[in-house]
Amino acid sequence: MALLVERPLRLCSAHYLLRIRHTIRECMPGQFVNLRGWSGHDPLLRRPFSVFNRESDVLELVIRVVGKGTEILSRMEPGEIDLLGPMGRGFTIMENRSVLLAGGGVGNAPLHYLARMLKERGNRVSCIYGARSREYIYREKEFREICDSVIFTTDDGSFGTAGTVTDAAREILSHEAFDRIYSCGPTAMMRSMVELAGSAPIEISVENYFGCGIGLCMGCTIETTQGMKRACIDGPVFDGSSIKWESLC
Amino acid sequence: MDCTVTIGGCRLKNPVTVASGTAGYGEELSRFVDLSELGAIFTKGLSLAPRPGNRGNRVLETPSGLLNSIGLENVGLERFIAEKLPFLLAKGATVIPNVAGHSEDENEELCRVLSGTPGIDALELNVSCPNVREGGMVFGTDMGRFTSLLDRVRKHTACALIVKLSPNVTDIAGFALAAERAGADAVSAVNTFLGMKIDVKGQRPHFLNGVAGLSGPAIRPLAVRAVYQIYERVSIPVIGMGGISSLEDLLEFVMAGASAVSVGTMNMVDPGLSVRLVRELGEYLAGRGASGLSDLVGAAHTQRSGQ
Ligand SMILES: Cc1cc2nc3c(=O)[nH]c(=O)nc-3n(C[C@H](O)[C@H](O)[C@H](O)COP(=O)(O)OP(=O)(O)OC[C@H]3O[C@@H](n4cnc5c(N)ncnc54)[C@H](O)[C@@H]3O)c2cc1C
Ligand SMILES: Cc1cc2nc3c(=O)[nH]c(=O)nc-3n(C[C@H](O)[C@H](O)[C@H](O)COP(=O)(O)O)c2cc1C
Ligand code: FES
Repeated sequence: MALLVERPLRLCSAHYLLRIRHTIRECMPGQFVNLRGWSGHDPLLRRPFSVFNRESDVLELVIRVVGKGTEILSRMEPGEIDLLGPMGRGFTIMENRSVLLAGGGVGNAPLHYLARMLKERGNRVSCIYGARSREYIYREKEFREICDSVIFTTDDGSFGTAGTVTDAAREILSHEAFDRIYSCGPTAMMRSMVELAGSAPIEISVENYFGCGIGLCMGCTIETTQGMKRACIDGPVFDGSSIKWESLC
Repeated sequence: MDCTVTIGGCRLKNPVTVASGTAGYGEELSRFVDLSELGAIFTKGLSLAPRPGNRGNRVLETPSGLLNSIGLENVGLERFIAEKLPFLLAKGATVIPNVAGHSEDENEELCRVLSGTPGIDALELNVSCPNVREGGMVFGTDMGRFTSLLDRVRKHTACALIVKLSPNVTDIAGFALAAERAGADAVSAVNTFLGMKIDVKGQRPHFLNGVAGLSGPAIRPLAVRAVYQIYERVSIPVIGMGGISSLEDLLEFVMAGASAVSVGTMNMVDPGLSVRLVRELGEYLAGRGASGLSDLVGAAHTQRSGQ
């Protein structure tokens, strides 16, 4: 049984931190949980969220309110919460290497847990954290503490560098090489990151619309060079170079 | 208590099954339920060759429902028999493949091979998929093509044959009757209702295929009505489904005339539901001192005529 430890904490505009106590054996960065914070049929489906952090038996999620389900979750009272997971295939964890993380918007959530684990394994972690504007940046201090270097970018220039994640990535990649790049965010951003990565290995985490989130319905299938893959079971983390981007709308 | 259901030569341990397309090939569902406790698992619609399914958006939640446009993505007959079926049989599951060929020829071949495969005692012929351009629902909504297909398929099916009816017709019971006359051992009802979502920003349909299939609690009253109408016209068993989420929902279908039921969309939300319903139904029947389900099947009809 999973328990919401405390009321969701507002982190920044429309973003909430959910802390959930749950007995878990293993939880890798990039994995996600399927949540249901209601008992009726509207909303109907569970909603998938990446793991933002884990402290022993407490999972932390960052939820951006975009509709009915996330609205309800952001206002939940502490107590029992219906959770399946952690599920899916997470990121590859390297040791003692140099890596670049590039996240856009709520896509920064899984990169937080990833950055922590990569640091624990002796990697040099550089990070680009992109958001629309200053009021959409959360846990800025923590990202600074964990990573060896962080560049913040905002579309409107209200915080950090004005511009996009890919602008910043292009700049860094012009003078620095990485053993692996990790990215999560809007599809167009991840696609550009894969192009920029060139021959460097890059892993991306897709956030397409899920039906069941547990491998039953084939509602989340994406096309890859290895054939059709269910994002909820075979992903959400994929080798970026294997994605047929036209299939992701 | 005897809760077994007999469909032709196929015996289901109990009346609770999981619906095609909402249980994959059982691998993932088996992480949540013991498949051997289910009446049966109806696997994803099969074609001879593997199919990639539809492009673009494939699922969308609607008020208490789900629109899907999967387009019958499946591994194809060969891999099904080589990889998926052995797993299911090893788990002790009763497996009923869902046959979804594009043409009469393809359906005939699928039924011939599958019904001759050891471990398979029943097939479900899907003439009601709204998400493919060829075949699919056309077979289930055009009476001429429906009977022509059934006549051919029946001859080549050496095991029990269940026909999955489309609700997208004026008189679903008429199709059930035609299926019975063609020698079907049971009918299942219903498949998804044709629906559509318009993307208002883009001023176009949300799904590339335009239409999609609606399922889930939103369709339950429509599905219960369909089962009720079918029961009045046929004497073969009816497998009822459409938005079942609780014991009460299940009993509605039974009392409308279903001898067995399928849990579909709600597996996706609550993967343990089907096996929970097996237990709850058992407790319910024991509480009533019933010896089985048969007294309740179609109970709403007798009650009504006795009013
Ligand atoms: C693997 C995975 C991990 C995710 N991780 C996070 C996370 O850590 N934090 C977070 O806030 N969100 C995350 N998401 C997205 C999140 O699941 C959706 O935003 C959420 O399901 C929307 O539910 P809703 O009821 O509020 O929106 P709805 O009322 O269902 O829809 C409102 C709007 O949001 C859009 N929307 C719905 N689902 C998605 C989706 N999956 N992706 C993008 N837009 C969507 C709809 O198209 C619609 O325009 C993740 C999604 C996936 C697949
Ligand atoms: C995602 C999804 C995929 C489906 N795929 C199939 C299929 O391959 N073959 C079939 O006969 N029915 C298929 N169906 C229909 C279901 O088996 C069932 O008839 C219908 O959804 C109504 O039941 P429900 O409301 O409980 O889901 C599918 C339904 C859904 C939601
Ligand atoms: S969302 Fe159902 S299979 Fe992935």
